[in-house]
Amino acid sequence: MTYQIELDRVEKHYGRFHALKEISLAIPKGQFVALVGPSGCGKSTLLRSIAGLERITSGTLRIAGEPVNDLPPRKRDLAMVFQSYALYPHMSVRDNLTYALRLKGVSRAERARRAEEVAAVIGLETLLDRRPRELSGGQRQRVAMGRAIIRQPRAFLFDEPLSNLDAALRVRMRKEVRALHDRIGATSVYVTHDQIEAMTMADHVVVLQAGRIEQQGTPMALYDRPANRFVAGFIGSPAMNFMPGVIAGDGRAVRLALPGNPVLETAIAGTPGLEVEVGIRPEHMVLGPLDAPHAVPLVVSAVETTGAASYLFTEGEPELIVTTEGTAAIRADDTIGVSIDPARVHLFEPETGASLRSAKL
Amino acid sequence: MSGAVTNRVLLAVALALAAVYLFPLYWMYVTSLKTQSSIFAVPPEFLPGAPQWDNYATIWEVANIPRYIGNSLVIASGVTLITALIGSGCAYVLARYRNGWIDAALFAVLMLQVLPPSLMVTPIFVGFASVGLLEYPRFATILAFSAKTMPFFVILCRAAFMTVPRELEEAALVDGNSRVGAFFMIVLPLARNGLLISALLVFMNGFGEYVYSASIIADNRLQPASIGMTNFLQPNVVNWNAIMAFAATYVTPILAAFVLLQRQIVNGLTAGALK
Ligand SMILES: Nc1ncnc2c1ncn2[C@@H]1O[C@H](COP(=O)(O)OP(=O)(O)OP(=O)(O)O)[C@@H](O)[C@H]1O
Ligand SMILES: [Mg+2]
Repeated sequence: MTYQIELDRVEKHYGRFHALKEISLAIPKGQFVALVGPSGCGKSTLLRSIAGLERITSGTLRIAGEPVNDLPPRKRDLAMVFQSYALYPHMSVRDNLTYALRLKGVSRAERARRAEEVAAVIGLETLLDRRPRELSGGQRQRVAMGRAIIRQPRAFLFDEPLSNLDAALRVRMRKEVRALHDRIGATSVYVTHDQIEAMTMADHVVVLQAGRIEQQGTPMALYDRPANRFVAGFIGSPAMNFMPGVIAGDGRAVRLALPGNPVLETAIAGTPGLEVEVGIRPEHMVLGPLDAPHAVPLVVSAVETTGAASYLFTEGEPELIVTTEGTAAIRADDTIGVSIDPARVHLFEPETGASLRSAKL
Repeated sequence: MSGAVTNRVLLAVALALAAVYLFPLYWMYVTSLKTQSSIFAVPPEFLPGAPQWDNYATIWEVANIPRYIGNSLVIASGVTLITALIGSGCAYVLARYRNGWIDAALFAVLMLQVLPPSLMVTPIFVGFASVGLLEYPRFATILAFSAKTMPFFVILCRAAFMTVPRELEEAALVDGNSRVGAFFMIVLPLARNGLLISALLVFMNGFGEYVYSASIIADNRLQPASIGMTNFLQPNVVNWNAIMAFAATYVTPILAAFVLLQRQIVNGLTAGALK
C-alpha cells in the first residue's frame, strides 16, 4: 500500500540539538492525523519537515510513494495553514486565495471562478476585496483555510490553526475543519497542543514528547490503553490520577497506597511484591456510599464545578481528582466513599513509565 | 501642573536648540539675497531690504552650477544604485539567518561604519591608482563612497527586512514559489518603504559627498557641487552673497526632499525598532 505521507525513521538535528528522534509514521489517503504533545516537543518541526521548510537530517520522507527529501516545498504540492495565518498583508483576500494558482499559471478567469467557489465554501463571499488587516481573527483564519483548500493539494498541514481564536469559535471551527476535511476527501496532518482537539478531530493521534513518538493510534486506543505514564497523563481531562501501589496476591491484584490500603483485582499480571505506579482516570473513580464494599474513604479539599460535572480534589498525598456528574452536594472537608473499577486501572513501571499491560503484550 | 511646566521648559529648550542649529541655514538664505554692501552693514540686517534674486541668475552661469550639480547627481545616483543592489541582498541575508558567522559579519559592518573617509581615502587612492581606476574618476569616487554608505544602508535595510515575518515567506514557498520569487513578490513589497527611505538617505549622502571627490577627481569638469563650491569660494572670498546663493542652490533640493518625505523617513527609521 502506498501511503499519502510516509516517514521512515526521520531524524532532525539543529546543530547539537536533537529535535526529532526516529519518527516513523504512515498516513493513508483521507486520514486526519493529529500531532499532540507539550510545548517544545517538536510538533512544528515535524510538520515543517513534511512541508519542506526544514531539511531532515536522515531518514526518508515519501509523499504518495515518492521520496521527497530533496524536493523544495514548492514541488511537494502540500498546503499549510500557519498558526499566525501568514496572510500576505499587501494583497486582497482574493489575491491571497489565488496566489498559489497564479504561481501555477492558472488563467485569470479560472482563478476568479475558483476564488468565488472557495469563498462560498468558507463563507467569505462579501470580503473578497478586503485586505487581511480589515478582517477579524476568525475571518483571517477562514482565509488561511481557503488559501489551502483552493489548491486541492495532496495533503493539508495545519500548525495550531485554531489557537488564536476564542473558546466558543474554536469549538465551532473544530467541527468545521473536520467536516471540510471529510467533504473534500483530504489528507490532513494537524498539530495541536490541545489533546481535546486531537481526540475530537482526528482518526489517528500521534503523541510526541522530546522529539520522540510516545504512542500513536486511534483516540480511543490512546485513552483506553496508554502505552506509558506520559501518554496516560497527557490524554484525558482532567488528567489521570497517579498513586503508588504494590502488586499483591498471585500477581493479579494491586494494593493501593490509599486510606485503608484497598486491594483491587486487576486483569493485568505482575510479579507479586513489585512496586508500581497506579493510574486511574478521575471519571473512573465512582462516588458511592461510604460503607459499600471496597469503598475508599477520601477527604475532599476543594470542589470545582462546571455545572455539567464536578471535580472533587482530595486531601493527602498524592492529590486525587474525582469526577462526578452534575453539581454534587459535597463541600470541602466532607468525607466521600470512592469505588474504583478494577478493569479501568492502569499499572506502570515506576522507572521506565511503561505500561505493564503493554509489557505483557 | 508641574508636568505642564516641565513640558513648557523642555519645549523652550528644544526651540532654542533648533534656532541655534537652523540659524546658519537662515543666514545662508538671507545673505544670498543681499547686496554686496548690505552684507557688511552694522548692525546686520536680519531681513534683506530689497531681495537680490539676480544673485542666483548670475552664479548659475558664472559658477557652472548645472555642470557641478549634474556631476553630483551622477555620483549620488551611482552610489545609490550600487549600494542598493549589493546592500539589499546583504541586508536580507543578515536579517534571515542567525548564527555566529552572521553576528561576526554584523559586527564587521558596524566597525566599517566607524572608519572616517579621511582615513580611508589615502589607501583607496593608492589602490585605485595601481589598478588604473583613476582613469574614470567619477566611477572611482562612486565605488569608494559606496563602500562608505554600504554599512549604513545594510543596517537600515536589515531592520526593514526584519519587520517582514518569516512565516509570510514560508507561506509563499509552500504556495509554490521559489526563494527568489518569494523575495521579490512578498518580502520586497513589504519592506519597500524602509528600502526606499534607506536608498534616499544614501542618495542624499552621495549628493553631498566631499572627501573622496576632492582627492580622486582632479579634472574640474567632472567635479561635483561640493567641490565646485570650494573652487568658487577661493577666488570670491568677499562675494558672500554669490557663495551663499551657490550653497542655497545646492542644498535646497535636499532640504525639500527631506521636508516632503519627513514623515516617511521617520517611519522608515523606526519601523524596525518598534516592532
Ligand atoms: N531553528 C531552530 N534552531 C534550533 N532549535 C530549534 C529551531 N527550531 C526549533 N528548535 C527547537 O526544537 C524544539 C522543538 O521545537 P518546535 O517548534 O517543533 O516545538 P513545538 O512542539 O511546535 O512547540 P509549541 O507547542 O510551543 O509550538 C524546541 O526545543 C526548539 O527550541
Ligand atoms: Mg509549534
